[in-house]
Amino acid sequence: MDTVIIDGLSFMMPLLCIAVGGIYSERSGVTNLALEGLLGAGAFVGALFVAFFGKLFPETSSAPMYFAMAASVVGGAVYAMLHGLLCVKFRANQVISGVVINILAVALTTFLTREINSGVFQAPSDKIQLGVSPRFDVPGLSKIPVLGAVFKSVYPFQVVILVVIIIAWYALYRTRFGMRLRACGDNPHAVDAAGINVQRTRFLAVMISGALSGLGGISFAYSFSANFSASIYVGAGYLAIAALIFGNWKIVPTVGACLLFGLARSGGYKLVQLLALPSSYSDLIMILPYVVTLLLLIFFSGTNRAPRALGEIYDKGKR
Amino acid sequence: MENIVEMRGVTKRFPGVVANDDISLKIRRGEIFALLGENGAGKSTLMSMLFGLYEPDEGEIFIRGERVRITSPTFAAGLSIGMVHQHFRLVENFTIAENIVLGAEPVRRKLGFLPYVDMRAAGAKIAELSRRYGLEVEPEAVIEDVGISIRQRVEILKMLYREAEILIFDEPTAMLAPQEIEYLLQILKNLRESGKTVILITHKLEEIKKTADRCGILSRGKLVGVYDVAETSTDEMASLMVGRELAGEAAPEEHEFGAEVLRVEKLDVIRDRMKKVDGVSFSVREGEIFAVAGVDGNGQTELTDAIAGLLRSSGGAVTLGGEDLTRADVRERMEKGISYVPEDRHGVGLLLDFTLGDNLTMRRYYEEPFSRRGIRDERAIAEYADRLIERYDIRSGRGYSTVVRSMSGGNQQKAIVAREIELDSRLLIFVQPTRGLDIGATRAIHEHILNQRAAGKAILLVSLELEEILALADTIGVMYGGRMNRVAAARELSIDEVGAYMTGVRQ
Repeated sequence: MDTVIIDGLSFMMPLLCIAVGGIYSERSGVTNLALEGLLGAGAFVGALFVAFFGKLFPETSSAPMYFAMAASVVGGAVYAMLHGLLCVKFRANQVISGVVINILAVALTTFLTREINSGVFQAPSDKIQLGVSPRFDVPGLSKIPVLGAVFKSVYPFQVVILVVIIIAWYALYRTRFGMRLRACGDNPHAVDAAGINVQRTRFLAVMISGALSGLGGISFAYSFSANFSASIYVGAGYLAIAALIFGNWKIVPTVGACLLFGLARSGGYKLVQLLALPSSYSDLIMILPYVVTLLLLIFFSGTNRAPRALGEIYDKGKR
Repeated sequence: MENIVEMRGVTKRFPGVVANDDISLKIRRGEIFALLGENGAGKSTLMSMLFGLYEPDEGEIFIRGERVRITSPTFAAGLSIGMVHQHFRLVENFTIAENIVLGAEPVRRKLGFLPYVDMRAAGAKIAELSRRYGLEVEPEAVIEDVGISIRQRVEILKMLYREAEILIFDEPTAMLAPQEIEYLLQILKNLRESGKTVILITHKLEEIKKTADRCGILSRGKLVGVYDVAETSTDEMASLMVGRELAGEAAPEEHEFGAEVLRVEKLDVIRDRMKKVDGVSFSVREGEIFAVAGVDGNGQTELTDAIAGLLRSSGGAVTLGGEDLTRADVRERMEKGISYVPEDRHGVGLLLDFTLGDNLTMRRYYEEPFSRRGIRDERAIAEYADRLIERYDIRSGRGYSTVVRSMSGGNQQKAIVAREIELDSRLLIFVQPTRGLDIGATRAIHEHILNQRAAGKAILLVSLELEEILALADTIGVMYGGRMNRVAAARELSIDEVGAYMTGVRQ
């Protein structure tokens, strides 16, 4: 039971971080299918930092990990500018832009990883080694039966993401910027009439979604794969999109959706182990979160409503 | 009195049209200045330039005596100019208070560093403004839950919250019910009392008579003149506006009706789990205009939607010329002879992003000559559309290839009417055919309806405006609470009687 909760949460938090990134973009009215690419590109930049500067730190130091997280945030935000530029400035179709950015991210990061490994480090490989993040138990709380597992073997990034999500929630619902951002996704004409720059607000929202995706991406790299490679692109971005839709484009319900997906995944692995199934079955079990999504969407999507102006290119002349 | 706004030689061109042609006018501080003109005369364009949505191609604008280039709505707001648009610009999932403060949010800091929008302070200021101008709103209500009249008050409060001095209203009464109109006109007067300058864009003469001090009249992009409202009769204004003398509308003459065309028997319609139409029976004969009177929302829309096939009826029968159509779909009903000019022009009547030609042939695109073996014949569509544009005087920038969204409301409606009349159906249904239209367009549509009656068509007319009903109807049916309370020949009913049945005083 403990491992289900521990693994579930360590999958859930990065997923949530990416989903909240998606919420920022979509609540501003920009469809963001690019989350997958954003998390990959962000993680790549973080991994690059470790590859170049990791050796400057003592072996046991976890400082490189935090620097990598910061680098991923910047990397994700910068890469997201491409989506912002295409969708907001050049009014490209947002779905196409998202798909192109995903494909580009896979191709570009794989290529660059290989080139840098063989060119700079003379070690041809399609991975950047990162090592696994240390984990810790919260004293006291982790001793509580069953629920104590929530506080056991916690990755530091889970705490970082928790803080970031709380700030993101506050910013979206309580500050002026968040209010304007949400207004852009409902009726950009109203925002424009109020003298607010719709395009700048949306562009910033897309950059924030890149930053949060990058943070989520590097967290995956530091926990599940322990390296950066194309294996980072396994659909977490799309799962985050499903989570935010299931969460009705609101942060708090999305937390619930991500928790559900996290537990469905770790529960699935446990099931494979318990049934002693051959490892090939684990791939089948991997689709469990997606099946859960599908079923839940069938039942709940009737009451869900996307931001009214989602995907709508803002055009002043339209009546 | 001081001129707060002055325009000199303002000209604005759009592809294919000169919207405003060399317009010079002066607006005084503290007056209600009405801008009168038909749909498409250039009123909205002129005021959009004052509000910074467009910039003039030629000419100069002076505000408080200073020459300005109004480059954006923000800039206009800086000059304390505000505008209530015909289509409201509100964030639907925000509260009224949030909508009002958007763009001018009072930001404070919690614990000295956490910035937040202080909705409580905003609420207090909004409450104060609503009291001062008599604009009742509930600041915590969400926009998507409130009606048009309230939304309009929110738009007005938005301007007042920003301390606007010059308030532009673009056809503010077009979508309002009669008592809401009275309420709004009172508010306009309150605004004038407190020293604001009000510019009222409208084509309704009674409103101008009731509220405005002076009135500028536009016709086809040109300023005809500026008149003192107290000294000008509505007849004069009307003829100046359309640029010709208008003959009064002829009262319907007595005549014989032909065979029964439409028969509705004990029709029930359930929508949103509510019985909107409850056991309604009536019939319409050839050469008869059967008008349904009633206050909005008493089942008229559901009744006509059910007859046209857009809604399924849950009981009763609809027959056309003796043939039962109760279970028929929309196309079958149309082919059997039902034309429908619906209430919701944008939602049901038109494909706004399609061309005028496509919209004019939307009911018959699959027939020859508009398509052959499933392939559209663009030339046949264009020729047909050109004929209708000419015959029905539909004004558009680029003829049949104009995107309908870019046309004015009156011309959009003319397009629907043209399409439906040309079907040559036995029964024509008109729901609110002249809502929001100017006098010229209204007359034109009334003329079409009367011509169709003369041609022996059966006509079912639904209108919220009693004048329209009394001007056209042979027979009047009054709906209240989903029931047809009274059916009688028009000459047997007085206005007061119809009013009493409409409001449920008599049943």
